[in-house]
Amino acid sequence: MTMSFSAPLVKIQSLHKSYGPHIQVLKGLDIEMKPGERVVVIGPSGGGKSTLLRVMMGLEKIDSGAISFGGKPYISSEGADRKTVIDTEVRRSIGMVFQHYTLFPHLSVIQNLILAPCKVRGEAKASATKRAQALLERFGLGAKAGAYPAQLSGGQKQRVAIARALMLDPKLMLFDEVTSALDPELVAEVEQVILQLAAQDMPMMIVTHDMWFAKNIASRVIFCAGGVVAEEGPPEQVLGSPKEERTREFIDRVFHIRH
Amino acid sequence: MDYSFDFQSVSFGPLWDGLIVTLQLTIAANLIGIVLGFPLALLIMSRFAPARLPAMLFVEFFRCTPAIVQIVWFFYCVPMLFNVFLGSMTMGILALGLNLMAFNAEAYRAAIQAVPREQLDAGIALGLNPVQRTLYIVLPTAVRASIPVLLTNGIGIFQQSALVAIVAVQDLMYQAKSLATETYRPIETFTIVALIYFAVSFPVSQIVGYLERRRQLMMS
Repeated sequence: MTMSFSAPLVKIQSLHKSYGPHIQVLKGLDIEMKPGERVVVIGPSGGGKSTLLRVMMGLEKIDSGAISFGGKPYISSEGADRKTVIDTEVRRSIGMVFQHYTLFPHLSVIQNLILAPCKVRGEAKASATKRAQALLERFGLGAKAGAYPAQLSGGQKQRVAIARALMLDPKLMLFDEVTSALDPELVAEVEQVILQLAAQDMPMMIVTHDMWFAKNIASRVIFCAGGVVAEEGPPEQVLGSPKEERTREFIDRVFHIRH
Repeated sequence: MDYSFDFQSVSFGPLWDGLIVTLQLTIAANLIGIVLGFPLALLIMSRFAPARLPAMLFVEFFRCTPAIVQIVWFFYCVPMLFNVFLGSMTMGILALGLNLMAFNAEAYRAAIQAVPREQLDAGIALGLNPVQRTLYIVLPTAVRASIPVLLTNGIGIFQQSALVAIVAVQDLMYQAKSLATETYRPIETFTIVALIYFAVSFPVSQIVGYLERRRQLMMS
């Protein structure tokens, strides 16, 4: 299959998702993401931002809608009972980093990194270890290879989690509030790593409450509220002079003062 | 009190033999309980009712009846119902082992349910399939978390094993009863026996305390 340059990397169509009969989180979400784009999703709590990433990773069932990646549909709901169907082969091209608790506590840093390459892809331990060590060096964690998660700071843990996801050579990275649980002084070191990836044109979708970070990294900002895309555009527009009233209110509240 | 203690007439030989048998019972029952308790825990948590319900019944049977009744039932009813008798030692090991398996399954279940949801999400995001997630994430985390309870249950079985004396397994308790009858020195005999049970159990309970403190440190 050939893909024209402007073909979307991710295409989300009319995505609906509810928790139980009464809580509708996503109400017909449509998003297209081009190759090389860095999309930052902002919006009020309960607006469906994290649910969106979780659905894209295949961690949640959907009610209806479809998502394709690189032109291949990989998440859809099919049949009379609307069963969520996930193509795990396609999903493997996507990496995700979560808010917290995601390193396996019984494994050392290097073991955390090589687990999936060895078990899922059948890579030889020696070659995975070599790649892992190189990646850790790049993130300033070379000396921590043998450490256990309990011996790391929150910022180090998140950098290891990012390295672990990168071990599988993802074609898209999802970051779900990866700095929200961190002490303020540790936020920058994690954001630096993500900026480093951005500099290498890694496509990514980021959910964050850090507007400074959003402004610095986004090629496009999506304001997600009430389960739909309420506004989207370049960061300077959505963050600087939003068109929608509720985007403006949200940005005012988060920034305190308008920039 | 004008009772004069006479520890000299209590000979250690039979008690030593009995302790060996008790330790064999304990170790064998623990092997059954630790190894088979985990798959039993997985069955209890299965969404498939024909797998879950018998497993739950098994666990509740052992949790809700006295161990002494289970042992007696095993020795007298199982041979009659199923026409098998495997020797008193084997039957003792099976009775204690299955009992421990039920209690350990509950310990494993609690530990499995305490594995943070995020860990499993991370496993899915890394492309691990359900079997790999169970083997590489759930099992090691849950087994580690349940070690203090497994040790407590295991040492509990060491003490409970005294019950098999009533069905003629020649364990420490059995030897103590014979010795007490032979020597007419029950107080001395059972004092020594109590000390032996204590001497084995106490270090284990200390280890449990240490492991729990260490775990709390690791989690903080």
